[in-house]
This record gives sequence, structure tokens and C-alpha cells, in this order.
Amino acid sequence: MASVAPTFYTNQVQVTDEVANFSPEVVEEMYLHLTKYPPDRKRSALIPLLFVIQRERGYVDNEGVNFLARFLDLEVTDIWETVTFYSMFNLRPVGKHHIQICKTLSCRIIGEPKITEHICNRLGIHVGETTDDEKFTVSLVECLGSCGTAPMMQIGFDYHEDLTTEKVDKLLDSLS
Amino acid sequence: MSTELIKVTINGQEFAVEKGARLIDVCREQAFNIPSFCYYQDLALQASCRMCLVRIEKMPKLQTSCTITCTDGMIVTTQSAEIEKAQRAMGEFLLANHPLDCPVCDRGGECELQEMIFDWGDVEERFVESKNATPEKFLSPIVANDPQRCILCKRCTRVCDEWMGEDAIEAGNRGVNTVIGTYGGWLDCSQCGNCIEVCPTGTLLDGTYRHETRPWELDQTISTDTYSSDGMQLSIGSRGGRVHRIVARDRYVDGLNGEFLDVKARFGHGFVNHEERIKTPLIRYKKGGKLIPTTWDEAIHFVTNKFKESGNNVGVVASPRLTNESIFTLKRFAKEVVGSENYTISDVEDLAPFFNNLSVPLATHKEIRHAKTILLIGGEPEEEQTFTAKQIRQAVRNGGAKLIIVHDTPIRLTAQASQFIHVNPKSLDAFALAFADKSDKTILSKIGAAQSEIDDLLKLIGESEGDFIIMFGRDLSAEAQAVLANVAGNFASEKRRVLLHPLPLYNNSVGANDMMAGRKSLSDVLINSTALLIGGSLSKPSALTDGFLSRKDFIVVQEMFETATTEFADVVLPAASFAETDGTFTNNTGFVQRVRQAVEPVHQAKADWIITSMIAREMGVDFGYNFSAPAAFRTLADSIDAYAGLRYPHLKDESKPVQVKHPIAGKKDLSKETDALRRGVEAMPETNEKIIGTPKVGHKLHRLTTMTSKTAQFHLLAHGNPKPENLLVSPLVQFNLDGTPRVEEKAEAASAGDRISDVKRTAGVTLDGKV
Ligand code: SF4
Ligand code: SF4
Ligand code: FES
Ligand code: FES
Repeated sequence: MASVAPTFYTNQVQVTDEVANFSPEVVEEMYLHLTKYPPDRKRSALIPLLFVIQRERGYVDNEGVNFLARFLDLEVTDIWETVTFYSMFNLRPVGKHHIQICKTLSCRIIGEPKITEHICNRLGIHVGETTDDEKFTVSLVECLGSCGTAPMMQIGFDYHEDLTTEKVDKLLDSLS
Repeated sequence: MSTELIKVTINGQEFAVEKGARLIDVCREQAFNIPSFCYYQDLALQASCRMCLVRIEKMPKLQTSCTITCTDGMIVTTQSAEIEKAQRAMGEFLLANHPLDCPVCDRGGECELQEMIFDWGDVEERFVESKNATPEKFLSPIVANDPQRCILCKRCTRVCDEWMGEDAIEAGNRGVNTVIGTYGGWLDCSQCGNCIEVCPTGTLLDGTYRHETRPWELDQTISTDTYSSDGMQLSIGSRGGRVHRIVARDRYVDGLNGEFLDVKARFGHGFVNHEERIKTPLIRYKKGGKLIPTTWDEAIHFVTNKFKESGNNVGVVASPRLTNESIFTLKRFAKEVVGSENYTISDVEDLAPFFNNLSVPLATHKEIRHAKTILLIGGEPEEEQTFTAKQIRQAVRNGGAKLIIVHDTPIRLTAQASQFIHVNPKSLDAFALAFADKSDKTILSKIGAAQSEIDDLLKLIGESEGDFIIMFGRDLSAEAQAVLANVAGNFASEKRRVLLHPLPLYNNSVGANDMMAGRKSLSDVLINSTALLIGGSLSKPSALTDGFLSRKDFIVVQEMFETATTEFADVVLPAASFAETDGTFTNNTGFVQRVRQAVEPVHQAKADWIITSMIAREMGVDFGYNFSAPAAFRTLADSIDAYAGLRYPHLKDESKPVQVKHPIAGKKDLSKETDALRRGVEAMPETNEKIIGTPKVGHKLHRLTTMTSKTAQFHLLAHGNPKPENLLVSPLVQFNLDGTPRVEEKAEAASAGDRISDVKRTAGVTLDGKV
């Protein structure tokens, strides 16, 4: 038996047992998604439902995950696995424009670091942070499957390819 | 799997193998070594490590042998320059983010990664980029986690899902950022530790053993679990008289449970070297006085004199936690030394009705795994017989078995069931009657199920082929158990073999039943004797509060800890724990399994059978054991039919377990029992309220006990003591997040759910597992 008790746990954000509430229309919409799949394959509806949660709550929050876990009979960790796998889901609040820069091989080799540095300098934040006016969040993500047009990034749901610093500047200027 | 044979050529040699066999298994059976990480027999395929590459003729590229099913005429090469190069490259990739901190890693010395790289890897690493680094952390008090050592074989997530049904640990993020973790960063699970066991690297580690010793400094002793009646085989790691850890047997050892263990078996060893162990014999010279330390000579002498005064009014009670040798010796003591028929076991749940009416043989765990139909009536194997639960789950998931559960609580296993008959609370007896005899309206209303449900069940059984296994829990009355055990044989037919599987609570319940044949009931013994010799403690508080014990002239207790029973004792003799004795346990499949001494008895403790024979010798009867456990076992084997001829050497090899053949009674006239059962059922109160909702993890009642020791199953927890808050780092106690153990005052009152959320609230972690 160890004589010293473990003292080192990951503890940063509070985890809660609260379950989110949704308006009847939203719940209705969720049931609609469910009907697309066989009754014993409820979990297949996870991704469409995650989009609903994200739309309703801004990001995939703890209460929302708890709701889904009950709704689909899943463990929260199952949902965590899916949410973190896809970069279009956010576990944290993000700014109005979520800039996701691909940092995988092709993009990295061809100039991602320069692009990232440029964007961060311009916005005055680090990777993973959100600007004070809550307009921009910058993240690095794994390959987005557009390697032929590297370096590339995704803002919201739009791809921006063959990036150069000038292109980035123009793009950021156009976003409000 | 069919037994049709096909031809496969491996490295130029031809082999006849079973159709459908997996290539990697075949190669290994034929002694062609193939490295692998993610492949794990009987788990879902993963094929992510790509170490197991082979060349198969007519197939493009190298193939992963772990995913290939042998086909006729297949020509395979397992070793060539090409394969070796690929494997070296794979090894290099696996190490790309691995810290190579073996000197400070608890797994060092028994790490599969270390071994594989040593055998198959390259000498040099060409990556110069910085590696991913993540701080070490604890996922729970017992699961330590060093994420950067992970090679993403996902064995841990698969065992958690497929063995435990927990789904508590998963792989999060994507690509090079993938980490093994949980949503909250805190493991809310049954803490079985199987993920630790199967992890081939030092990513998941035993938190209770962190940085204690290097594995090669430990003495490994193969022994048997002292908690559950499954009799899981395990290896006790000890050093300098201390038990440091318990691990399962190697998965390559074709033993009973492979690498599977549960929380109690794996982490519940803190009691062995616990400071509250009774150190010397103790005598209470005056009723109401204090227990005073004394010497063995004085204690034995004192006991002898008192027992002589009581003559044949001495009753003997043995705990079903003791070894067969100890229980048998206690019985001999009653019969041969004091000439009394007052001997019994302290478990009020009697297995005699079951074994006396056995109509078919007992199932082994392998047979459960490969059964085609399983009927579970009551019980909660997930908490009490964890290995059985795992076999059931795998039989359904991997073997396509049909599981039918009859229960008043929708236990978690019902998720696997093809049919779940949800009965009224405590009405399993009524179901047994309807199932074994006949049902009518009143019985059905007591059960709270429709006749059609029972008909469906009978139809399903009638259509089934292959092995059909009936298991039932302790929640059935003695009559119901007798009737069910006897009716089982009726279902046998040419295409269907029927087997029974009892679900008793204690590690040696079955052995105790065998050893103490012809015993009286516990209350009879307590009433009819003036003095008592108790091996272990009484588990049921009621027997104590009834005031039986306080009215006895003289009580001797052989115990490891002071308990509620020793409060009444006049003499307490320090007994040795399972880790300090040689002996045998008989598990719920009838396997007689060795318990082996790992450490010297602590302080002045002695094995129970030695203590009993010392008293006997002083009273003038020599049992002829000469302090030798093999001799004690020989005597036992020669006087119990089912064990006839057995010797320790027969029990040596765990891959060839010895199953005692309990006599099969055949069809009996059980009208008396059936009538008693019917009367009992008629007297049952009517109710319409069903227990609803599956407790989040396991059974609500049992769930709490896994972590906090509120179950009588714990060796320690004969009613009364020891105080769990004194057991540092052990699953017997929950932890506060600053690492200090929580004192469980309110725990009893709070429900399991409350406590879990409590832990979670305090836990708090980043949502994506990042710091
Ligand atoms: S300890 Fe057991 S239940 Fe918990 S995560 Fe590990 S394998 Fe799963
Ligand atoms: S933690 Fe261990 S078992 Fe799990 S994926 Fe990583 S290396 Fe494999
Ligand atoms: S590497 Fe950037 S899109 Fe594939
Ligand atoms: S063992 Fe075959 S890919 Fe890992």
C-alpha cells in the first residue's frame, strides 16, 4: 500500500450534473432526427443532435452533453469521444468567427506556421484564445482533407485555401 | 466455429488448421512469433498498431495478421527483410511521441512496449522533433495516468466496454492529439482496474502502487481471489513481508480468468498488512473486562480448560471465507474433539438445498462464455460474481448467446438480454414456482408478469440448441433453489445440454458447503451450545443483536481484526489472511483452487487450521497434520467423496483446473418443497410497484459498496470493523480531491447517485481533458 495518497488530479473546469432544458420545438426537432434511424440505433443520431445543441447553446456545453446522454442512452464519455474527434464541435465558447487552421503535414510543410503567426499577431491573441470583442477564436486542427490546396483553414463552415498572408488579411478585413 | 480443417502454409511449412481460425493465433500456436499491440484475443478487432504485418501470397502489400481469417491454401511468410523493415518502422512511429522514461515508469520491466521494441525495434530513433507532453495525473484514486506514454492500441477502451460494459474510458480528439481519457477527466466507473492490466505501456497504472517498487523486485505468488466466489486466479506481488500489489495472471496463461480481475480482487489487499490486525492472542479474563494480550501457550491452555468444562456443549461456526482446510479442521474439532454435532457455517444463505437437489452438472466459466442460452434469475453478478458477469456479457456480444433475465431490478446486464421479465420486488420465488411447477392467476399477479412472457421464455428455451445455463441469485428462498436445481434437468434434450451455475457470495461458499456436510443451521448451533469456537466472524448482525452471543459461557474467535463478534469473545486468536496461508478454495464452478502463502503471517498470526489443531492437540486429539497444509488437504480429500484422491500436486497447473464432481441427485419428488414454496408465495404481499430505472453503474445497493466497503463480502467487513477510513489508499475508501481520504459518516445515508455526483462536482476538469 502506498503510504502517500495521490494528490494530483486534473481539475480546472467544474463538471456538473445539471441537464439542459430545451423548448418544445427544439425537442420536437430532436425527435425528428431520431426517427431517421432504426430505434435500436439511436446513437446514430448523435451528430445531427450535436449540431442542434451547438446551435441552441453556442457550444457543446456540459448541460447539453448530459441532456444528450439521457436522450440517446449514452455515456457522457462516448459523447466526449465524438465531440472531440470532429473539429466542427466546440467544447468551449468560441467567438463569432471560429478560425480553424489546419496544422497537419501538407499544410505545416507549406507554410501553416507563417499563416498562424500572422493571424495571431493581427488579432493579438494566442492559439486557442478568443479576442476580447468575442469576434474571433483561433484554433489549430488536424487535416481537413484539403491537402491539395494547402495551406488552408476553415472559418465557420467555409474553406479558405491556398492561403497567403495577403489573402488572409483581405479575408479578415471582410469579416465583421 | 466449425471443425472443418483447411491447409495453410506458413514459412514453407504446411499446417492443417480449423476453418475460420485467425492467422495471428495460428502462427503463434505454431511458434512463429508475431509482435502485436492492439490485438487481444476475444476483443473487437482494432488493427491500429500494424506490428503484426505478414506477407500473404496473392495479396498486395503486407497484411495485418490480426485481422486475417485463414483460408484454404493460404501461403504466409512471417519473417523476411521486407517485413522486418516495416515492423521496425512501425516501432519507430510508436515511439515518436513516447517519452522513453522507462527508469521512472512503474511498468518498466514488465512493459510490452519495452519488450517488443527490444525484440523488433530499431536501435536508433530518427525523430528529432519535440514530443507531445502531457502532465501525469490520476483518473481516479486507483488509476494513475501518464498520457504521453500511450500508443493508442485502445485495449483499455475495449476491455472497459466489452468486459465491464462501462464505456467509461474512451479516446478523445483526433490524429496526433488523440488521448485516452474521459469527459470529466475523472473516471466514474466500477474501478475494476482491467484497463490498467491490459495496457501494454505505462500509460494506465495502478495508483495504489505508484512508485513503490520495481516489478522485478517483487515475489510473485499465484493464488486465488479471496472475495468473489468466481475464484479468480491472481498473482500477489510481495516484498519484505508486505503485499504491495495484486495483478491478474498473464493473458497467455490459459487459466481461468486471463487478465480479468475486479476492484476487490485487485485492490482490496490493504487489509493484509493493516496496522489494526490483531497482533497477539487476547484473553478476556472476566466477562465485561478488557481483552488482554497474552502468549499462545497461555491462550491455548486457557481455551482448553474452558472447553473441557463445557464438554460436548461446544458449538463450532466456520466462516465461508476460510480455506477448505480450515473449515474441515473446525468440523473435525466438533466431531472428534468435543463430540458435538453442533457445527455450521456462518453464512445464513445455505447452499445445501441447491447441491442436494442438483439435477445437472455445474457450468464452468468457459462453458458460460460459449453457452447458447443463459437464464439469470435474480442476483447481481456484476457486483458479486464479476467474472461470471464478464463471461455472460461476452457470450452475448461475441458468441451471439441469448440471455434471459428475470429480475425485480433492471440491472445493467439487461441491456444485453434478449428477454427481460421484470417482476415485482421480491417476487422471484413466485416466478420460480410458475417456471418450475405451474402458474395461475394469483401467482402471476404476485409476479407482476403476463403468462405470455413465461410462455415466450419457455418457447425460447425449447427452440434453443447447445448449452443452456441456468443461474440464480441469493434472493431466492431455499425451497425455490431446491426446486429450480431439480427442475433444470427437465430441459435437457439431445441437442441441448443444461448446466447450473450458483451465485453464492463468498469466496469459499461452495467449499464450506462441501466441508460442513451434515451441519445444523446457524441459529440451532447458537441456541444449543454453551460455548463457541468461531472461525472468522458472523456476518449477519442480527445473530449478534439477538443476544445469543452475550449469553454464552465462553466464546473463542479466530479473527484477523477486532469485529462485532470479538466484542463477545473471551479469547481472540490472531488468524492469518489468505496471503499468509496455504490452502484451497472451491469456486462456484466446483474448481478446487490453490491459495498460496505469499508473505509470512504478520505478527503472531497463524493459519486457522493450525490454531484449531493446536487447541485439539492440547485437548488430547492429534489430527496428524504435523503443521503441513498438504497433509490437512489429504485428510480432507480422503473423507469427502467429491474430493477423493485429490492432492496438492493435482492442483498445481491452473490451466488444467480440477472440478470436483458434486453428486447429481437426479429427479426427485420435491412436492414438500414445492408446497412450502407455494405457501411462501401465497403469503407474499401484493404489490404493483416495480423498481424502475437502471442504476447508472451496476446496482445501486452494490455500487456504493464497491468503493466503500459497506458490503459483508469484504473479508474485513464482518459486521463491525475495521474502520474503512483507516485504510489508506485502497478502494475501501473514497478520496477527496486533495488526496486525503474521505471519512464516510454520511455515506451510508446518501444514495450512490448522490455520492458520485458529489465526487464529480468537486472533481472539475477541463472539458476536453486538457489542462
Ligand atoms: S477501471 Fe475498469 S471500469 Fe474503470 S475505466 Fe478501467 S476498465 Fe473501465
Ligand atoms: S492507455 Fe494503454 S491500453 Fe489504452 S490505448 Fe494507450 S497504450 Fe493502449
Ligand atoms: S494537411 Fe492540411 S488539409 Fe490535409
Ligand atoms: S496487432 Fe495487428 S494491427 Fe495491431
